[in-house]
Amino acid sequence: MNKFFTILSLATVVVLTSCNDIKRTPGKIYMPDMAYSRAYETYADHSNLASQGINYDNRPVAGTIARGKEMPFPYAMDKPGDSTNYVASKMVPNPIDSLSAKDAAEAERLYLINCGICHGTKLDGNGPLYKDGNGPYAAKPATLVGDAKYENMPAGQMFYSVAYGKNLMGSYASQLSRHQRWMIIKYIKNKQTK
Amino acid sequence: MTILRSLAKIVSIFLLITLSSSIGNHLNAQDGKALFSQNCASCHAVNKKLTGPALAGVEDRWPEKKNLYAWIKNSAAFLKTGDPYATKLYEEYNKTAMNNFPGLSDADIDAILAYIKTVPAAGAAPAGGAAVAGAPTEDQSDSTLVFGLLTLILAVVSLILLQVNSNLKKLSDDKVGIPATDPVPFFRNKAYIAFIAIVLFILGGYMTTVGAIDLGRSKDYQPEQPIYYSHKVHAGVNQINCQYCHTGTYQGKQATLPSVNVCMNCHAAINEYKGEPLVRENGDVVDGTNEIKKLYKYAGFTEGQPWDPSQAKPIEWVRIHNLPDHVYFNHAQHVNAGQVACQQCHGDIQNMGEVKQFSDLSMGWCINCHRQSEVKFKENGFYSIYETFHQDLKSGKLDSAKGITVEKIGGTECQKCHY
Repeated sequence: MNKFFTILSLATVVVLTSCNDIKRTPGKIYMPDMAYSRAYETYADHSNLASQGINYDNRPVAGTIARGKEMPFPYAMDKPGDSTNYVASKMVPNPIDSLSAKDAAEAERLYLINCGICHGTKLDGNGPLYKDGNGPYAAKPATLVGDAKYENMPAGQMFYSVAYGKNLMGSYASQLSRHQRWMIIKYIKNKQTK
Repeated sequence: MTILRSLAKIVSIFLLITLSSSIGNHLNAQDGKALFSQNCASCHAVNKKLTGPALAGVEDRWPEKKNLYAWIKNSAAFLKTGDPYATKLYEEYNKTAMNNFPGLSDADIDAILAYIKTVPAAGAAPAGGAAVAGAPTEDQSDSTLVFGLLTLILAVVSLILLQVNSNLKKLSDDKVGIPATDPVPFFRNKAYIAFIAIVLFILGGYMTTVGAIDLGRSKDYQPEQPIYYSHKVHAGVNQINCQYCHTGTYQGKQATLPSVNVCMNCHAAINEYKGEPLVRENGDVVDGTNEIKKLYKYAGFTEGQPWDPSQAKPIEWVRIHNLPDHVYFNHAQHVNAGQVACQQCHGDIQNMGEVKQFSDLSMGWCINCHRQSEVKFKENGFYSIYETFHQDLKSGKLDSAKGITVEKIGGTECQKCHY
């Protein structure tokens, strides 16, 4: 009888564990021929390259400008507490004079993905993250349309804020290329003058 | 008196008419449901855009009933009349022509329209929606339970019958005078052994095959991540676009995982979680605020002080979707040129607390989609290089009305993925 119970409890344990359907391991692979990359892939561990005798830097030489791309923004980020460059950036004009219909659509798409979440799809500073103060984001985002402060803000200063961040807003330099940032600013300016 | 009688007559006739007309309406809606599922449902839903538009409120969109009848019976002929709304519809749905239904009478169409009106709107009651979402899974488990019970009952009945049969045989043998042979225990009965052997063989074969097919695939893979990051909270509740974090999807091969600074764009200000309770797959409750603190640790951020991004260390997220090295997959090609929604491959991601691999990412799965997905040529710069296809379309060699699948423009060529 004792034996019977041990077998029964063991069986229950086996059944219970096999019924757990959360798959925390990726599973097995049979003869992974050409399955794993010999080259270093994007998300591979790149930290130990030098120790393996691989000396490689994928960053371009400082000061490189790709052909056909915008010139870099002439001002660096201010030190905390300083605002010299922020003020100076007023003088930088938007290299994009006007948006074609196709570019305008693309700028709107970029705005809605990256900016609309806080600044609102209607540029009213009331995006889903703020929701009149009921959203998780506590600070009121800038009202881009309907607030004289932002309607009169020069494009260059806007670019400074998008590139380096301003107050609680972070930098979008890693998400948007220089050209995309200028496109979005043109899009906002067009909406403001409407 | 006569006045009273005539009044009663009128009232009764009126009642009769209203009653019959209400019954008639009811029957109409019933018939309409059948007609709808026969004729319309393969391309239309009441509340959802499929091949054709959602049909809720269709009567409001077609003020002239006569035009609607004509459109349904022969859409191509009606298009030629140059009706602006019909032309707009045709353009909007990529010039997919609606089938002709000359067999439907005006009364049939009225019945279908009556049925459409009885279907409640999709967003009418969120609670109802939740119930509907829960229902299918319940149904499934219910039916397996029912079938399991049925099988069990049948097995017991057949066992009892076998027992009864052997007892009866023994009795009759006793009566005739045949000496009873020793009963054979079931584990030595050849028929039983053969039966069990065959069942085990089939079951074993099936499980081996399924297991072998699953080798190297990791559908449902759901690893524990260094930080409990809920796609449900970010993409679902707070409506952050997928591409806010996965910037590469539109322009590059990789979808790209966001670096810490992208998290900090919002989380420099959002430092506590106050939403619905977060629960892991195994039922453990997660403290959202504590998970944000984990992010601050990676970012090297102290609350109330300006953040220095150079102090950040990368978060080593566990990659879930992996393709073998001999397959080339490009996100931009699918998301940008192909206009495929993220959810088609990654499932209901905006409702996932912990992400799991939705598709098995097998070659059959890829090929199947390439065979069925239609290419969206319209206003799509990527395909402007396909001049020959355009010429073929013009000359009628390729028929766009039938839909051009990815396969037809070379989407199942080996070199597309393996090179």
